[in-house]
Amino acid sequence: MAELTPPPVRRIALDADPTVIPPEEAINGNGHASAVRRPEAPRPGTVLERMRVEELSVAYGSKLAVNRVSIEVNRGEVLALIGPSGCGKTTLLRSLNRLVDGTASAARSGRILLDGNDIDFIDVTQLRRQVGMVFQQPNPFPMSIFDNIAYGLRERGSRKPSKRALEPAVHSALHRAGLLEEVKDDLQHPALRLSGGQQQRLCIARSLAVQPEVLLLDEPCSALDPISTGIIEELIAKLRTEIAIVIVTHNLQQAQRVADRVAFMYLGDLVEYGAAEQVFEAPQAMRTRDYVTGAFG
Amino acid sequence: MSATREDRRVGLTLGALSSLVLLLIAGMIFFVLEKAWPSFSHNGLSWFGAKGEVDAQLTEIFNSPADPNNYVYTIGAWPLIYATALVTFLSVALATVFSVLSAIFIVEFAPDRLRRVLEPVVRLLAAVPSVIYGLIGILVIVPFVADHFVTEGARESVRFVIQLDGTSLAVATAILTVMITPIMIAIIVDALRTVPQGWTQGAVALGVNRWRAMRTIAVRTARPAIVAAAVLASARALGEAIMLSMVSGSVGFAPNPLDGYIFLLEPARPLAATIVDNAEGLSVVPFGQTLYAFAAVLLVSTAMLSLGGWYARRALRKYTVTR
Ligand SMILES: Nc1ncnc2c1ncn2[C@@H]1O[C@H](COP(=O)(O)OP(=O)(O)O)[C@@H](O)[C@H]1O
Ligand SMILES: [Mg+2]
Repeated sequence: MAELTPPPVRRIALDADPTVIPPEEAINGNGHASAVRRPEAPRPGTVLERMRVEELSVAYGSKLAVNRVSIEVNRGEVLALIGPSGCGKTTLLRSLNRLVDGTASAARSGRILLDGNDIDFIDVTQLRRQVGMVFQQPNPFPMSIFDNIAYGLRERGSRKPSKRALEPAVHSALHRAGLLEEVKDDLQHPALRLSGGQQQRLCIARSLAVQPEVLLLDEPCSALDPISTGIIEELIAKLRTEIAIVIVTHNLQQAQRVADRVAFMYLGDLVEYGAAEQVFEAPQAMRTRDYVTGAFG
Repeated sequence: MSATREDRRVGLTLGALSSLVLLLIAGMIFFVLEKAWPSFSHNGLSWFGAKGEVDAQLTEIFNSPADPNNYVYTIGAWPLIYATALVTFLSVALATVFSVLSAIFIVEFAPDRLRRVLEPVVRLLAAVPSVIYGLIGILVIVPFVADHFVTEGARESVRFVIQLDGTSLAVATAILTVMITPIMIAIIVDALRTVPQGWTQGAVALGVNRWRAMRTIAVRTARPAIVAAAVLASARALGEAIMLSMVSGSVGFAPNPLDGYIFLLEPARPLAATIVDNAEGLSVVPFGQTLYAFAAVLLVSTAMLSLGGWYARRALRKYTVTR
């Protein structure tokens, strides 16, 4: 049964980005290490700016949800957006792939650049392929596991690639999301039969399948148990060398475990922004200090 | 009286009521089949075949001698069955396409103000009695088709086979489509609304546009409801008698696809319309039994449709049901 060994992780040459470092060898699919290690500090030279947010404001009608926020999103780093609920984290995240544009009442101003290009001048399909998103509630499509992962690839062109042609990409995406070992014999099973944690990793794999440069995660673990949460945090630590990751969380321990950089938001304002150690250990602003020491939130 | 005892009583009453309904349906099917039996047994399988002019055969049956031993039963109902299948299939196919597109528009693309007008109008249209469609058909559409589409050439080319007067397969199909589309739209709109936002959002976040997300996720998920709507519409189309007897031409004729577009202008009277057209002859025993045979075919077809729809829905739900 030679097919059962997972194929080597390889980017599809067609879409390969010359600046992308190949993913680390052999992500072990079942890694159930219970204690999540803090990721090692990124090697110098591997941090690369991918997105830059300049003076972003978003209002729903007259209600300002994000107020003149400027941040950068770098490959090789995990950026955590923290803050009490309703402070605009999701709105900021959904601005990065222009998903807020689908909300009729939302008005966005300021600039967001992806690799130096204003996202308002990038074709939105292209943008959303480069900036993938995983939602708070796992949302696998009501299809087979295989079809879920292949969805983005099939919708890419007018010509539908054959199942066989898609197989390597599907396997590779599942492997990168650490799910391949668990599901490789059940690729035709309904995705909705997976457990919550598996569903969320499936959604991560579905995003990874279209080779994004940036991955947005909106409270990806809030619906999951601690073990699944640990698995996903470990996955994030591994993925951060390949792609830029932005994770929204209102779980401070989680931010502390996975983030290299932290942005603390409060009522739409960016209150504090910097390296994780600095924000957690030596916060500059009073409100950050109160929040990270648990005075409110 | 304790709450559980009351619940039990309600349960029993409702159970008895639904059993009664089932019993009634079973009784009705049995009754119709029993009445229809002589017609089927005299003709055997050729009942379903083509034996020339079906209307002439009906006249023969109507003029049967009074002696039960000399009743005439000979009929080949093919033209009527064929017309039923043709009109039903064409209109349900058209209505499915229209209703899915309209439902997508209403759910996803229509501006709020238009949506607020459109939805009640659709639901209202679904309740319009069919005789009104029939009236409009015979007073407006049939003359219009006769004047504008039935050319002298067309009339000439089939002169020896059939008379073209505007009552036709095309008009019957068109009006039937208009008649069954609203209820299908209403059902499909409801189904599309129940598709979790997370699924379509997930697709949109993968770079798929709203139309593709609706097509590949929402409509796909709503397929069981689309099948249910199509089955319901087919049942209504199969059973539609009054309107079809008004606009489809009072001739038992099997339109011939080889006639090109004239095919659509040829009359095609389905089974249900044949029954109402001939209802006054019911007192003639063999004639009544023949009409019962038509009814039996309709009953069995609707039953098979429902069964087929049930299987299809079950198969299509495979990926939606979580456990
Ligand atoms: N679609 C919307 N329409 C109107 N107001 C919204 C919408 N989405 C979010 N908001 C408001 O914007 C603010 C920020 O929301 P959100 O970005 O979801 O915060 P967070 O993710 O930090 O909890 C909240 O006050 C919320 O009520
Ligand atoms: Mg949120």
